[in-house]
Amino acid sequence: MSGSLSVRDVGMRFGGLAALDGVSFDVAPGAIVGLIGPNGSGKTTLMNVISGVYKPSAGSVEYAGRRIADVPTYEVCKLGIARTFQIVKPFAGLTVLENVAVGAMYGREGKRRATAASFERARELLDIVGLARVSARPASDLTIPDRKRLEVAKALALDPEVLLLDEVMAGLNASEVHEALGLLRAVNARGVTLIVVEHLMKAIMSISQSLVVLAEGKKIAEGPPEEVTASPAVIQAYLGARYTERRKRSRNGGETA
Amino acid sequence: MVCCITLLVLLGVPLLHNGYYENLFRGILMFAAMALGWNIIGGYTGYVSFGNVVFFGIGTYVSGVLSLHGIQNVWIAIPCAAVIAAVFAAILGVPILRLRGHYFGIATLGIALATQEIVANIEPLGGGTGITLQQAAWFSQYYYAMWLVCALSLLATWLIARSKLGYALVAIRENEDAASVLGINTTAYKVGAWAISATMPAAAGAVFAFSNGYIDPSVGFDVDYNVFPIVMVILGGMGTVAGPVVGAFLLTAINETLWNRYPQVHTLFFGVAIVLVVLFLPRGLLYVFGRSGGWRGFLKSLTAYRV
Repeated sequence: MSGSLSVRDVGMRFGGLAALDGVSFDVAPGAIVGLIGPNGSGKTTLMNVISGVYKPSAGSVEYAGRRIADVPTYEVCKLGIARTFQIVKPFAGLTVLENVAVGAMYGREGKRRATAASFERARELLDIVGLARVSARPASDLTIPDRKRLEVAKALALDPEVLLLDEVMAGLNASEVHEALGLLRAVNARGVTLIVVEHLMKAIMSISQSLVVLAEGKKIAEGPPEEVTASPAVIQAYLGARYTERRKRSRNGGETA
Repeated sequence: MVCCITLLVLLGVPLLHNGYYENLFRGILMFAAMALGWNIIGGYTGYVSFGNVVFFGIGTYVSGVLSLHGIQNVWIAIPCAAVIAAVFAAILGVPILRLRGHYFGIATLGIALATQEIVANIEPLGGGTGITLQQAAWFSQYYYAMWLVCALSLLATWLIARSKLGYALVAIRENEDAASVLGINTTAYKVGAWAISATMPAAAGAVFAFSNGYIDPSVGFDVDYNVFPIVMVILGGMGTVAGPVVGAFLLTAINETLWNRYPQVHTLFFGVAIVLVVLFLPRGLLYVFGRSGGWRGFLKSLTAYRV
């Protein structure tokens, strides 16, 4: 099954800008960790470091005993770490089905899969994420929510042990968010560790077992969701006083959230 | 399908005992093989090379050198040329295919010019005066050899397009970062694609050297042989199996017609024809007639490219 992921004192500088500064936390196998923080707090940068797209300027990320920075980008998914991109990156000229099949061909299980088996796997995944109806269309035809679904299907095609999800629920309506959460729980139930970046607090609170909060590149809180969102530092940096009031009201018998 | 039938029909050309047709169709097959080679790196992988004539040149010189050493056999020259060109492409590819997009194109142009100069200055290769090859008595064998080179190139393209390799190349073309995140070692696949792409013009060059009977640096590294295959692929359809072959037929037909009718100004008209192709058919004829395109797609591409 999946190993544990540990982020150790990770710093990332772009010229004079410290996008990440001394960030550390551990993710246990099979956990669901929510990563939250204001815009520009370094969430996506951290995702890029964990998935090996960026080499950190300080510290390291280790997965199952290996330093991600020592592994070339194309090998990271073979270790079992897959991700989605906030700015989606479909292969625009390929069909939706082909997009996912490429992942199945070259991911963790890719070596053992022939072309036909990869397409078979891709079809299953499109069914799961709800894109079967557009499988033969070019990826460039998809709407934004469907492109997000495609990102998830491509990442799942890599047969990951750890899945990094960068704002896959942005732009979905309430019932679609509900569906997406169901899908993520089902993926997690099969033993896949999830690290979820999301602005939608309701979604992140309902799915995460623990939260890590970033602000200006530093970790300002970590722990169980209820505890973290009650912390004054988190309220000040990200949530704002109104969010806390709303949550209190809804917990004390109100229906609105 | 149409392409296969056409190829089979072309096997019969030498039976006409007409030197003009044999030459014409041998030329078309040669350009088709070169275009198919360029299509692997330029069409499927999306890396536009302006230096694939180098591999054609290497092919001609492999035949030339073999001939100087008493091996006047085109059937031996073909595999030798293909292997040497692939190795040459792989060695060059490791540094320059780390470059992305336009920088690769510029580097290949430099290589094309440099290689021609280097060959012109190597005395054992005939220097600037070139090499005269001994032709076999049965001249039509060169036609069949070129046919075989073209048919194998087409077969290889067809197989690649359906394989995992083909999908990796297209993924690199569509989004190299995303391809890498999906587990594709992009540099290795690009180098592999270029090596495969090198074998086809090299094999064609090996045959051409014998059928032409004479090679020198300006013949082997002719600018026309650099540009024509690219235009043929664009005309027929980049990243399609049959597109390069269709393009080779049409462009040669256009060129021949213009040359016959307007011998003085045919290059001018030919240049205009190339510009029209690039403007009006940026995705190629096969796209217009293909399932995803159609005339509506054609009109859409016109507006998209703001003609």
